[in-house]
Amino acid sequence: MAESTVPVAFDVYRYQPGKDTAPRYQRYTLNLTPHTPVLTGLLQIRDEIDPTLGLRYSCRSAICGSCAMQINSKSRLACETQVGPEVERHGRIVVEPMRNQPVMRDLVVDQTPFWREYAKIEPHLKLDPRRPMPADRPTPMTPAEVDRFKETPRCIACAACYSACPAAEADPSFPGPMALAKLYRFAVDPRDTARQERLLRIQPNGLWLCLRCHLCTEACPKDVRPSERIRDLKEMAIAAQGATELGSKHAVGFKENLKGAGQIHEMKLVRATFGLTGMVGQIGQGIRIWRHKPEIMKKPRKIEGMDELEKIYAALDPPPKEER
Amino acid sequence: MLHHEVVVVGAGLAGQRAALAAVEAGRDVAIVTKLHPLRSHSGAAQGGINAAIGPNDSIDAHAYDTVKGSDYLGDQDAIEYFCQQAGPTVIEMEHFGTIFTRAEDGTLAQRPFGGAGFPRTVYAADRTGLALLQGLWERLGSERFTLYEEWELARIVVRDGRVQGIVALNRRTGEVQDVAAKAVIVATGGAGRIYGRTTNAHSCTGDGMAVAYRAGAFLKDMEFVQFHPTALLEGGILVTEGARGEGGILKNANGERFMSKYAPKVLELASRDVVARAITTEILEGRGFSGPYGPYVHLELMHLGKEKIESRLQEICDLCRAFAGLDPVTTPIPISPAQHYMMGGVGTNIQGETNVPGLYAAGEAACVSIHGANRLGGNSLMETLVFGKSAGAAAAAYAEKAPTTSIVPTEVDEVVATFRTWMGRKDGEVPSALRTELQQTMDRYVNIFRTEADLAEGLRRVRSIKERFTRVRVVDQSKVFNLNLSDAIETEHMIDLAEAIIVGGYARMESRGAHFRTDYPKRDDAKWMKHTLAQYHPTGPTLSYLPVTMTRWEPKERVY
Repeated sequence: MAESTVPVAFDVYRYQPGKDTAPRYQRYTLNLTPHTPVLTGLLQIRDEIDPTLGLRYSCRSAICGSCAMQINSKSRLACETQVGPEVERHGRIVVEPMRNQPVMRDLVVDQTPFWREYAKIEPHLKLDPRRPMPADRPTPMTPAEVDRFKETPRCIACAACYSACPAAEADPSFPGPMALAKLYRFAVDPRDTARQERLLRIQPNGLWLCLRCHLCTEACPKDVRPSERIRDLKEMAIAAQGATELGSKHAVGFKENLKGAGQIHEMKLVRATFGLTGMVGQIGQGIRIWRHKPEIMKKPRKIEGMDELEKIYAALDPPPKEER
Repeated sequence: MLHHEVVVVGAGLAGQRAALAAVEAGRDVAIVTKLHPLRSHSGAAQGGINAAIGPNDSIDAHAYDTVKGSDYLGDQDAIEYFCQQAGPTVIEMEHFGTIFTRAEDGTLAQRPFGGAGFPRTVYAADRTGLALLQGLWERLGSERFTLYEEWELARIVVRDGRVQGIVALNRRTGEVQDVAAKAVIVATGGAGRIYGRTTNAHSCTGDGMAVAYRAGAFLKDMEFVQFHPTALLEGGILVTEGARGEGGILKNANGERFMSKYAPKVLELASRDVVARAITTEILEGRGFSGPYGPYVHLELMHLGKEKIESRLQEICDLCRAFAGLDPVTTPIPISPAQHYMMGGVGTNIQGETNVPGLYAAGEAACVSIHGANRLGGNSLMETLVFGKSAGAAAAAYAEKAPTTSIVPTEVDEVVATFRTWMGRKDGEVPSALRTELQQTMDRYVNIFRTEADLAEGLRRVRSIKERFTRVRVVDQSKVFNLNLSDAIETEHMIDLAEAIIVGGYARMESRGAHFRTDYPKRDDAKWMKHTLAQYHPTGPTLSYLPVTMTRWEPKERVY
């Protein structure tokens, strides 16, 4: 009683730099059950139709992080993406290499930039020699302290987040979601003694380049939610060091700014972000805005329901609690 | 030619731990791996790592459980050393940064596992391998060593009675590279892909075992192949023993909790060989379920409650939902046994030394032997670290004193010539087709229950595949990521290993641990309490035997 199969059309990106003049898409059609993982389909193509197809894969159970690729334009693990829903939604399965990393062959990308950013955040415990760990027993850590890592220990470094990240595409100096989620993992580790130093280093080095689009969180197959960990890091950085960067000044300025009228007072926000002297550099932009939309420059009127807004702020800023 | 003092092949837990030990001893170390280290199959280990650190537990109890689990084929001196090192090793890994699950009082949580008298298994939810792999890689990452990533082992060079280095294929460039080394440590993991139904990754093709075997190292106890009782029906994906450790139960199609017949005292927490045979017996006797993916039984977790299932068995939940379209909180999981682990491997002593001077092995690729005829769940992660460390330290000490080594051009040219021959054929055998036939043969003839007739037929078929492999053809002419070439290299490894498994199993006319012969259903200590050694010969392995080391535990009947 075999499960019934359906024809599945794969359009697979094929390209070998230095050999092919341009990328092309090759159509392979297989009869598969709807439950079949995309990876199984690709391996069947390799075994039965075209042994020259290049891809990375290993565990086929969503734990080794090898087979991340673009499947119908989403960064996914091929092993845990089933063909049925893809065909239903898109009529075919377009398979392409991950983005933001140069193609080596077909679906295989050069992950050097991804691993370089990971290495830059110094992904290892930093210990204070004056505070050695207990030699003969594990570090005591309560379940609540373990919970502070949130889902970051689940990260399998598949780079689906990096592939999905528009900030990494626009600015190669952006560490990327995985590296920042990994930084969070060390910043909340009770054994690590370099939390301040880590936050101080990351503030001017990319933390504030995140666009908060949450595409990384959508792409992550392990629910690490990198964009939320980046938000956590921003909060930790401001709490620890105050608003020292354009990004953090803007964030804090924005929050304070809204308190006044429930609408943004642009002039004040520019000043909060750039400072008085920094405003000089924004004069050109200011003149342009003043010509086209002068109302933006004016002090905004208070919105209706300011009392509701005040309640939100009260909930956001509870009376300060002592952090351990 | 590249030069290093110590070359570690494989970058899973055993390889990384060996590399760390050798680096700490001051040696110039290189790691060669066909994956990125964080993609190694150690990361797929789920349930946990055994150490007798609980208040009522003891090193002796751990050692006894391991000896009994091994069906008295484990070497007891090695097992005692192993159990003594287990506690300090867990603490060290915690200090390296591994995030383990904690008990309310802040100590490491421990869960019960099969064949163990105490809740002895330290864990990180159900991704313990990943947690350890991350912790160790992050620790190793702050040391100085050279990483050759996505290089595939082709040859270990032995000349003048000792190791001279390795030859490997750089998958990214297609170049064949030679690396001279005073000591080589094989830590390439298992060979589960010899079977079609396996929990192992596609990359578990026994590269190091096979290459060491051809270089003159003995393979030990290869006939002992572990089948994990609970693999997801679809695709054979592992469902951790931790699921039963947390209280999961097994039921047949009649709704019976059948383990009461096979292991009345400990039920689902008997050792893996016992549970895998029980499930297979239920299925063979018609009490299994049947479905499009074959016969199966149920693993039920529902009674544990949503909160416990989703926190302690989070990855299992995700795997069931993504791969089988079911929710273990509300639905039984369809499972059946699948190949999981090789108890056998390159024969070593406690220091990881093989019979070839300069060649070491550790982890699943090695056979020390602590697992004997059947490994206990939770002992393999610990083995990688304990014996990875001892092999790394021993190799470093050897390399410090060893004379300079070299690889001569002909030793590389032979490898290049072989690849050229395969790639130059206009016609020939398809590597992946041979691999698939090999897998079908092993699934059918060399599985949980074995007979002389089946093993003989299996051997006949494997030898026919071996003969056809001499005409193998690699179609892909590309240098970059030529996986067609990798298929051929790996298939050749697996053919040799399959042959050693069958020849060893055919000769062993008894049932012990995971090796069950229906024509010889009893253990025979008088004749067979000994290790099988297989030595490479082009026409097939030559067998010899080695006594088991006993210290404190006399063989008894094994009852769970």
